[in-house]
Amino acid sequence: MMSDKMKQDPRLPDETFEPFEESRRIPLPVYWIAIALAIWGVIMLVETSHSTQVADKERAAQNAQDVTATAPVTAEPAAAQGHALFTANCATCHGDLGAGSTGAVPPLAKSDLVQAGGAEAVVRIALRGIDGPIAVNGVTYNGHMPNFASALDDKQLAAISSHVATSFAGAKDGIEPTKVAELRKADAGKDPWAGGAELASAITGLPAQPARPAPAPAMAATQSADVETLVKTGAGYIWACASCHGDKGQGMETTPRLAGLPAAYIAKQLHDFQQGTRFNDSMAYVAKALSEEQIQALAAHYAVMRAPSTARPSLKGDLARGEQIAREGDWSIGVPACFTCHGPSGFGVAPDFPALAAQHPAYTARQLAMWAGGSRHNSPLGLMAGIGKALNDVDRRAVADYLASLAPVPATPKTELAAIDASIPVSEGDAQ
Amino acid sequence: MTRKHPSDLPQPGADKPSRGQTTVRVILAVGGGLALVVLGSLVVDFGLAPSWLTGQKAARSTAAADGEGEKAKLFTPPDESAIPDDEFGQSVRRGMAIFLDTGTNAHDFVGNDLSCSNCHLDAGRQAYSAPMWAAYPVYPKYRSKNKMVNTMEDRIKGCFTYSMNAQASPSGGPPPYGSDVYRDLQAYFFWMSKGLPTGEKPEGAGFGKIDKPEKEPSRERGEAVFAANCAVCHGADGQGQKDINGKVVFPPLWGPRSYNWGAGMHKVDAAAAFIKHNMPLSQPGKLSTQEAWDVAAFVDSHPRPKDPRQVGDITVEDGLKKWHHSHDGFYGQTIDGVLLGTGFPQESQAAAPAAGDNSGG
Ligand code: HEC
Ligand code: HEC
Ligand code: HEC
Ligand code: HEC
Ligand code: HEC
Repeated sequence: MMSDKMKQDPRLPDETFEPFEESRRIPLPVYWIAIALAIWGVIMLVETSHSTQVADKERAAQNAQDVTATAPVTAEPAAAQGHALFTANCATCHGDLGAGSTGAVPPLAKSDLVQAGGAEAVVRIALRGIDGPIAVNGVTYNGHMPNFASALDDKQLAAISSHVATSFAGAKDGIEPTKVAELRKADAGKDPWAGGAELASAITGLPAQPARPAPAPAMAATQSADVETLVKTGAGYIWACASCHGDKGQGMETTPRLAGLPAAYIAKQLHDFQQGTRFNDSMAYVAKALSEEQIQALAAHYAVMRAPSTARPSLKGDLARGEQIAREGDWSIGVPACFTCHGPSGFGVAPDFPALAAQHPAYTARQLAMWAGGSRHNSPLGLMAGIGKALNDVDRRAVADYLASLAPVPATPKTELAAIDASIPVSEGDAQ
Repeated sequence: MTRKHPSDLPQPGADKPSRGQTTVRVILAVGGGLALVVLGSLVVDFGLAPSWLTGQKAARSTAAADGEGEKAKLFTPPDESAIPDDEFGQSVRRGMAIFLDTGTNAHDFVGNDLSCSNCHLDAGRQAYSAPMWAAYPVYPKYRSKNKMVNTMEDRIKGCFTYSMNAQASPSGGPPPYGSDVYRDLQAYFFWMSKGLPTGEKPEGAGFGKIDKPEKEPSRERGEAVFAANCAVCHGADGQGQKDINGKVVFPPLWGPRSYNWGAGMHKVDAAAAFIKHNMPLSQPGKLSTQEAWDVAAFVDSHPRPKDPRQVGDITVEDGLKKWHHSHDGFYGQTIDGVLLGTGFPQESQAAAPAAGDNSGG
């Protein structure tokens, strides 16, 4: 009807009539949309630049704070910094009040061990970590204390250890960063303390310690030559894992750290890459060429690996906000603490919950964004999809940066691997 | 595309629109553009825009099933950073520490692997998980269950006695009246409730309502719901999971280290309401009403520590008549050949809770 009428209208220009085309008006709705888009664009620009400014400012404030740590440890700001660092790094296990956790983590508050060894003992423990039985206030614990050498610098370790010794164990003196530097040099590269027994042999005056357990028989079979080759040089379509994930499984940027992840989790991810339920070009290519046997062997290989942290906060995230999300959650947006699922210090809970501590922030933030956008969708029950979506970009960077500042997982000794993947042994009888 | 009626098209000869027309068009164009922006932001503000567009999860009420608009009415307790730096603040912090790791900070009175915050989520702040800010202003109150006025101390004692299974604790019972444990916990609750009127039950109190199920709750269906939605965290055997140091991460739902047969959570209706509004963790409201009842029936039909009132020669049969006749639970039933309510042999046979302590918490 309408078009017929139009064709007949003599006033309508025919196809050859050019000049009129030029002055044909653009319909109003097009203007509306164009203007709306322009306004929206400006708003977004202002918002992003505002949030980067905020992040920059906070970063600057943080740097300024770090500088204040050069002041002697006895000064007031350092004490406050020691407290803040303790809350961010140690309270996840030892509790805000230093009371430890019954049956699992020894107390620092009124600890006879800290009282006897002072801040220096705390530094030496934090620099190497502990594996094996240790007695504190007459109770024996048998846990895994991580090693903080790669996560905290001399100033930070001095501030924390001084705080622990003076406010929890009544010591008069703290320790200077220069002394921490000396201890660090002396203990560089050493294995974790083999329980309280080895500690007591190095530091005089400690309370009586349980005997060192007989060293576990070496498990020769776990490390087949095949795995070594796969990791270091690759085989055919299987590129050397180390070429991307690093020689110690430490990862970098958006290639994840693998050292210390639960074996079952690693195997699940490799299966997911194989079957296409998790998508990444390089990993799909590598995983498709792996046999089931190789997957299990590689998973075991990385799960027991110990590697210092090479991750550093680098996304300009607000570390205090990140710590809050990780330790307490933000329930107003429906996000429980990351640590309720990923374990008290982000060390993971085998078999399904991976470690997050010391993971590279670019990788963590990217995975969260991928869950939010739906391009990663392989978490059990879709648990991470909801969490990724609930966090905005600023929060994702904040939490990724905080997690990157933590000490790496104390990897599970090979002898315990089988037990841990089945169920965590309960140490009921041996603690207060 | 809308096509203009021919008469709207410029007439031959009128090659340029007049200045007046241009101004009108500019006004119309800018006005319309602004209107679009306003409209768009309204849509986003009211949460009508799909999340893929905004990149943000639309704010969701934890009690998703209870409808919209409720979130706005919920009380927001103060932030942890607002705890004062004085003696009172120290008591608040100790109370919070007890709440979060009860087995460590109230060690002598805890006989299982639970902490208060396992059932009262977000450190006792989460609405519909019986938050402490909603409880504090309504005590002391009369409870028909034990036919007396209960102070907050009485109420907390109830949760120690039953939910924390104090009969198996080192001291063999809940903290005695006047204990610092009550003092610090109450300081924490009082601080958290700042600004709420006393004597009025706020929205978000308790575990929230749950409708009656369409079908009678079924253990068999519940078992399937459990395997699909709960086992990844609470373990296939319901015994929870610990971290590398043996610290509880996911609490046990039944067995010797969970709540006992006197705890509020052993009642299927209470557990169903809790689960509907809080589990699976981070996905409240995911289960249908029927699924919540079914899985609650499954969880609450497993062996757990005995009712602490059941001492001496009181049998499960007596207990059933005395305390368990009027509510929804599996106490006294025989499931898979096991009589529920007998508890576990290794439990300490400590004294019965004092008269007046009755089921709850
Ligand atoms: C992942 C949990 C965890 C974190 C985080 C942690 N610790 Fe420990 N810590 C432990 C465990 C477990 C032990 C006991 C080790 C054992 O049983 O062999 C321990 C033991 C200790 C001891 C010696 C025993 C005692 O209680 O006096 C000190 C001192 C100590 N930690 C200090 C620290 C400091 C300082 C930090 C922070 C920089 C820290 N810990 C972070 C778990 C942790
Ligand atoms: C070409 C580089 C490259 C090689 C070679 C490579 N990877 Fe990866 N890998 C990646 C990247 C990139 C990711 C992150 C994928 C993503 O963003 O989802 C990844 C992810 C993974 C993950 C998932 C980790 C997690 O935390 O979820 C596992 C497991 C893994 N790789 C194992 C291996 C193993 C085993 C090998 C050797 C057989 C290997 N990779 C070789 C690049 C590589
Ligand atoms: C409700 C439980 C739960 C909570 C809470 C949770 N996660 Fe997860 N997360 C998981 C599970 C399960 C996986 C394993 C996904 C898989 O198997 O692919 C996971 C995996 C991850 C991964 C991938 C790790 C890797 O190596 O690829 C990241 C990153 C992560 N979570 C970050 C977080 C952060 C940050 C938070 C807190 C804001 C958080 N998660 C809170 C359950 C949870
Ligand atoms: C096994 C789960 C569980 C644990 C653990 C638990 N509670 Fe409860 N609590 C409950 C239940 C169920 C109720 C009853 C809720 C209702 O009436 O809606 C309750 C109620 C309460 C109330 C009264 C709430 C009100 O609105 O009247 C207080 C106060 C309380 N608990 C404190 C505690 C404290 C303190 C602890 C730790 C010592 C604790 N609870 C541990 C399950 C638990
Ligand atoms: C993502 C992990 C996760 C899933 C899935 C999950 N829960 Fe929980 N659940 C928890 C955690 C963690 C707590 C303790 C809450 C806290 O401390 O923040 C808890 C607490 C509980 C409690 C109260 C404490 C106790 O031990 O009795 C019950 C009951 C419960 N869950 C039942 C369920 C049921 C039923 C399901 C399945 C529908 C389920 N949960 C799914 C993590 C989970």
